Amino acid sequence: MSNQSDQHESSNKPPIRKEMSRRQFLTYTLGGATAFMMGGVALPMVRFAVDPVLRQKGEGAYIKVVEASKITTEPQEFTFELKQQDGWYLSTATLTAWISKDEKGKIYALSPICKHLGCTVGWNKNQEFPEQYFCPCHGAHYTKEGKQLAVAPKPLDEYRVKLENDWILLGEIIPNTIVK
Amino acid sequence: MAHGDKLKEKVVFVGDSRVRKGNGFITPPDYTAYPGKSEAFIPNFLLKEWMVGVVVLVGFLVLTISEPAPLGFPANPSASVIPMPDWYFLFLYQYLKYPYASGDWVILGTAGIPTAAFGGLMLAPFLDRGKERRFYRRPIASSLMLLSLAAVVYLTNFAWTHYQHELKLAGEKPEHIKREEQALENRQKGLPTSNAIKQEEIGIVDKEDTAMETYKTATCISCHAADLKGASGPSLRGVGDKHDKEAILAIIKEGYNNKMPAMYDTAIASGLTDQDIDHLADWLAKQKAEQ
Amino acid sequence: MLKNMYNWIDERLDITPIWRDVADHEVPEHVNPAHHFSAFVYCFGGLTFFITVIQILSGMFLTMYYVPDIINAYGSVEYLQTQVAFGQIVRGMHHWGASLVIVMMFLHTLRVFFTGSYKAPREMNWVVGMLIFFVMIGLGLTGYLLPWDNKAYFATKVTLEIANSIPVLGPIMKELLQGGTIVGAETLTRFFAIHVFFLPAVLLTLLVGHFIMIRRQGISGPL
Repeated sequence: MSNQSDQHESSNKPPIRKEMSRRQFLTYTLGGATAFMMGGVALPMVRFAVDPVLRQKGEGAYIKVVEASKITTEPQEFTFELKQQDGWYLSTATLTAWISKDEKGKIYALSPICKHLGCTVGWNKNQEFPEQYFCPCHGAHYTKEGKQLAVAPKPLDEYRVKLENDWILLGEIIPNTIVK
Repeated sequence: MAHGDKLKEKVVFVGDSRVRKGNGFITPPDYTAYPGKSEAFIPNFLLKEWMVGVVVLVGFLVLTISEPAPLGFPANPSASVIPMPDWYFLFLYQYLKYPYASGDWVILGTAGIPTAAFGGLMLAPFLDRGKERRFYRRPIASSLMLLSLAAVVYLTNFAWTHYQHELKLAGEKPEHIKREEQALENRQKGLPTSNAIKQEEIGIVDKEDTAMETYKTATCISCHAADLKGASGPSLRGVGDKHDKEAILAIIKEGYNNKMPAMYDTAIASGLTDQDIDHLADWLAKQKAEQ
Repeated sequence: MLKNMYNWIDERLDITPIWRDVADHEVPEHVNPAHHFSAFVYCFGGLTFFITVIQILSGMFLTMYYVPDIINAYGSVEYLQTQVAFGQIVRGMHHWGASLVIVMMFLHTLRVFFTGSYKAPREMNWVVGMLIFFVMIGLGLTGYLLPWDNKAYFATKVTLEIANSIPVLGPIMKELLQGGTIVGAETLTRFFAIHVFFLPAVLLTLLVGHFIMIRRQGISGPL
């Protein structure tokens, strides 16, 4: 609106004037008052609306899953439950992990969510691809470390693993750190 | 195109346009008959109006920051609270307690008088049709209005003081204050402050207990599932809320409602001892929903 | 750039008279608080509108978190008030703003009444104004239930009982508002729909009418 009044101004009066006219002053003050009122009203609301984006994302909790002694070099499937606080709604998500250890005994847990389109992969589920993770949806398959061999663009995700009193604790899902 | 050189002009409707040519958007009313100067709406007048607006806004923001909106405890039909409407309904609320507005006269109270009052207010221009605008020259209209105003103020104040009095008698505080105090107390103790209704799933208590193994060996697992959520049998999560240890032992030994067979012998046959089963019952009795 | 865009649109749609009418119309001295301080009573209408705008905005933002469901309504209100940044302020704006609208509107009504501004030719505008008053009261009433706390629940029960005691129409009205035989899940969704869609739509229509009539008829003369 103020832009328009200025234009209206220039058409009626000589275009170049150094002092500010009364009308211009009023228009600027009005603009300032408008900006203050809009800001005062809108700022709290906008901050309120964008809160989820600005939330500090805390490190996810670790969940006790299985005794470390049960882990072999052959991947095994384990399910565990994760309490999720979704706004005001607290729910329990059931997650699955394929846990195995490498030759050096380092334990790692892979998420079975296929990196292609999000189906669920399984170990040794297809005779054509023995000793591999296979996804039934589009035939993506992965090595034991989660390295993608076909279709999928990335290796399988990992869970953060922690060992505590001979129990394996799994944390949040992170991109695969073993293979690229 | 024929109108190529006319592009710089304002739109001119020609030809078969059936819209009559008007004189401006809305003909501005003429204020020259009024005493004093008039001024343009933007920016002169609006600026003054908005100075008032800015003051109101600042006051309003201070209020919202200093005084959180009240929130009580979740609605519970069996709770005992003194129901209070919002303040601007208090006068109606109070007036409905009077003899001629309740009981046998409730129709008069809820329909008759409010309809007359609000109907009269709405139709004021058709009831008060004189040319005179000054309120002191319209004694009937003005006195009726002043009387209603006085009544509304009186009733509102009466209802409010009565409510305060009732609260004092009952030794209660309004719920939103109670909730705030409770939340503050819990926050200091580091407890959760929420009063929201929890709909969470019941978790398994003591998942690492040896009873979990017994549970599998005793073949409970085939009907009640490995996660205790139940399959052909019911869920055992939170079963401790329904049955105590003795009852659970009895169910294992004798079955339940002809639906579950006695499982004791099967369990013993799979190599469990009485002690194991006792421990299993103990563990199941501990399966309570978290408080 | 902006000027060119404006000119481009103006050439085609001739929009200048629209804002010109709003911007340049003259306001007489007797309503100007800068000339007579007592003229501040003429501000209440504008302030009602300003608070109404705040109500609409804060309400829109509140629905980003609120759910009209008897299990989650309370939890979501509690969450947005206590957990979300500025939630207390935004809910406070909506809660206290509701009271402020009623106050401002009440003062505006009294001003119009005592200055006799509702007299011919402005009868229609008074009637529309009163309808706005009733719609606002309705918004207050339906909004009160939405947090689904005890106070809201019992106050709504009482209100519906009052509706029930109106002869003939009462029981039908009560059941219509209640959406069933008890105050519960269906009542809440109904009140939500009325509060968020139906009444605001009516309110905006009436406001447009109110403003067009003010522009048509001008402000009533000085006393």
